[in-house]
Amino acid sequence: MEQQPPQPNDSAQEKTLGFPPTPEAGGKVPPRPARRPPHEEEAPTEVLNERGQATAAALGRVVGSRASSSGGRDDIPWVLVMPDHLFEVLSLMKEHPETKMDMLHLLFAVDYLDHLQLIYILASLSLNQKAMVKVDLPVAGDDAQATVDSAVALWEAAGWYERETHDLFGVRFEGNPDMSPLLLYEGFEGFPGRKSFPFNEYTEY
Amino acid sequence: MATEYDTGQTPETVDMMLNMGPQHPATHGVFRMVLAVDGERVVDLVPHIGYLHRGSEKLMENETYAQVITLFDRLDYVSNFNNELAFVRAVEKLMDLEPPERAMYIRVILCELNRVASHLLFAGTYALDIGAMTPVMYTFRERERIQNLFESVSGARMMHNYIRIGGIKEELPDDFVHRTRKLIDELRRGVEETDKLLTFNEVFLARTRGVGMIDAATAISCGLTGPGLRASGSTYDVRKDDPYEIYDRLDYDVPIGEYGDSWDRYWLRIQECYQSLRMIDQCLDQLEPGPIMPQMRRIARPPKGEAYAHCENPRGDIGVFVVSDGTNKPYRVKVRPPSFCNLVALRQMVQGSYIADAVVVLGSLDIVLGEVDR
Repeated sequence: MEQQPPQPNDSAQEKTLGFPPTPEAGGKVPPRPARRPPHEEEAPTEVLNERGQATAAALGRVVGSRASSSGGRDDIPWVLVMPDHLFEVLSLMKEHPETKMDMLHLLFAVDYLDHLQLIYILASLSLNQKAMVKVDLPVAGDDAQATVDSAVALWEAAGWYERETHDLFGVRFEGNPDMSPLLLYEGFEGFPGRKSFPFNEYTEY
Repeated sequence: MATEYDTGQTPETVDMMLNMGPQHPATHGVFRMVLAVDGERVVDLVPHIGYLHRGSEKLMENETYAQVITLFDRLDYVSNFNNELAFVRAVEKLMDLEPPERAMYIRVILCELNRVASHLLFAGTYALDIGAMTPVMYTFRERERIQNLFESVSGARMMHNYIRIGGIKEELPDDFVHRTRKLIDELRRGVEETDKLLTFNEVFLARTRGVGMIDAATAISCGLTGPGLRASGSTYDVRKDDPYEIYDRLDYDVPIGEYGDSWDRYWLRIQECYQSLRMIDQCLDQLEPGPIMPQMRRIARPPKGEAYAHCENPRGDIGVFVVSDGTNKPYRVKVRPPSFCNLVALRQMVQGSYIADAVVVLGSLDIVLGEVDR
């Protein structure tokens, strides 16, 4: 069968696509349609279950007035503490017989643009419970670092988590004996975990 | 006379620094460790990671929720289903979504099969590390059977992208149950074969018994989870302690080690294979027809909030923390990679042992560098 020669493009179709810009559109790319606004309501199940409530009660007794706010979801309650109280709260949670957090499950940072939030997820294998400790750290600028106390004296696992957080978010941990880069190389500039770090524009070489 | 030659100085020994990796066949990827050795003894060990750092967590912030699942396939690239499940469960918690029964059963079947595949890979390569060339042929043959089944299910041998937020991608092929039952019998024989070939082998025992011992308290402090921790006598298993999906409906045992040495870590994984096969058998019995995806929007847009979910990966406890700002892309995703935490314990295990045992201990931790460096 003989092939049909390609038909010239319909100009109307080109217009709807909007690219490349036509003279009618004034040589400009039409603006993109507006994005749907994000959900405004809070998550429906930001509540603790039975196990979580028991942990939260124990947590409240141990941390006491050092917590500036608290909450939780499912089985993991959290407390927000001031950076000055962080080490005290962590060691209390490790030692106190009601919490007995013998494992540092996870430590990481979240960049909320105006401040960094450090989140410690602690686990107690003997009591089978989990809890979070959050700290808000204000940072002055894109290159500014924040400083908190290291938890390496409490849990061995803190060492690498802290080095990683220092690499990616620029949080200094006072008391960690080794703060050399873990995931990045020596001499890397900037904190690639932060929202301000250029994602697409960054070229390494 | 001895005093004539006395220089008034005592002989001094200096530790030799020995570099191992990043290109080394026994490090299972680009992992480097610097050993300080005194003769044949390892005095200290400094692990160096980050050669495979791809910035996965940053990448995830710029992809939609459905696209992030593909990135999880590439973290721990020998237990892909388990990784996908961890992320999907975190998003489901965020959206307050319960997957249909059938989807949960299929997820568990695939995850447990993946666990067997991962442990078989471990047994083969571990034997290879120690110097036994044969077992790897047997274990890879068995693993290949599982990969073939995965290919018929998801269309890919490794990067499946099969588990979806709310359910799974598509229905299983018609002959899946029949094929899996046959496969379980074959695998049971295959695992037994490896077990007989390796477990109580005299040379294998001599290389692994009492090597890289770690007690439970130190292991917990280091964040060690999974078979590495259970070998030390702890019973921590997410499937038992914090049951997810349908694990609470299954009847299985969690094998526990006694001494926390390399042999225990190996033996535990072989025992886990038997338990996983038992679980799959029960899942196939309980599997009933039904929907595999709930009624939901095609594009997941979880409400504002944060959620943490964790699962039992073949390597340990994988956790995923998701922060949502209400858009179709996650604001922040943080992974707790089990291999990363297991590596922290390496230093404790290797100190004081022979140089040749460093490889044995590293192999027994069964790390995957894609997950360590992210």
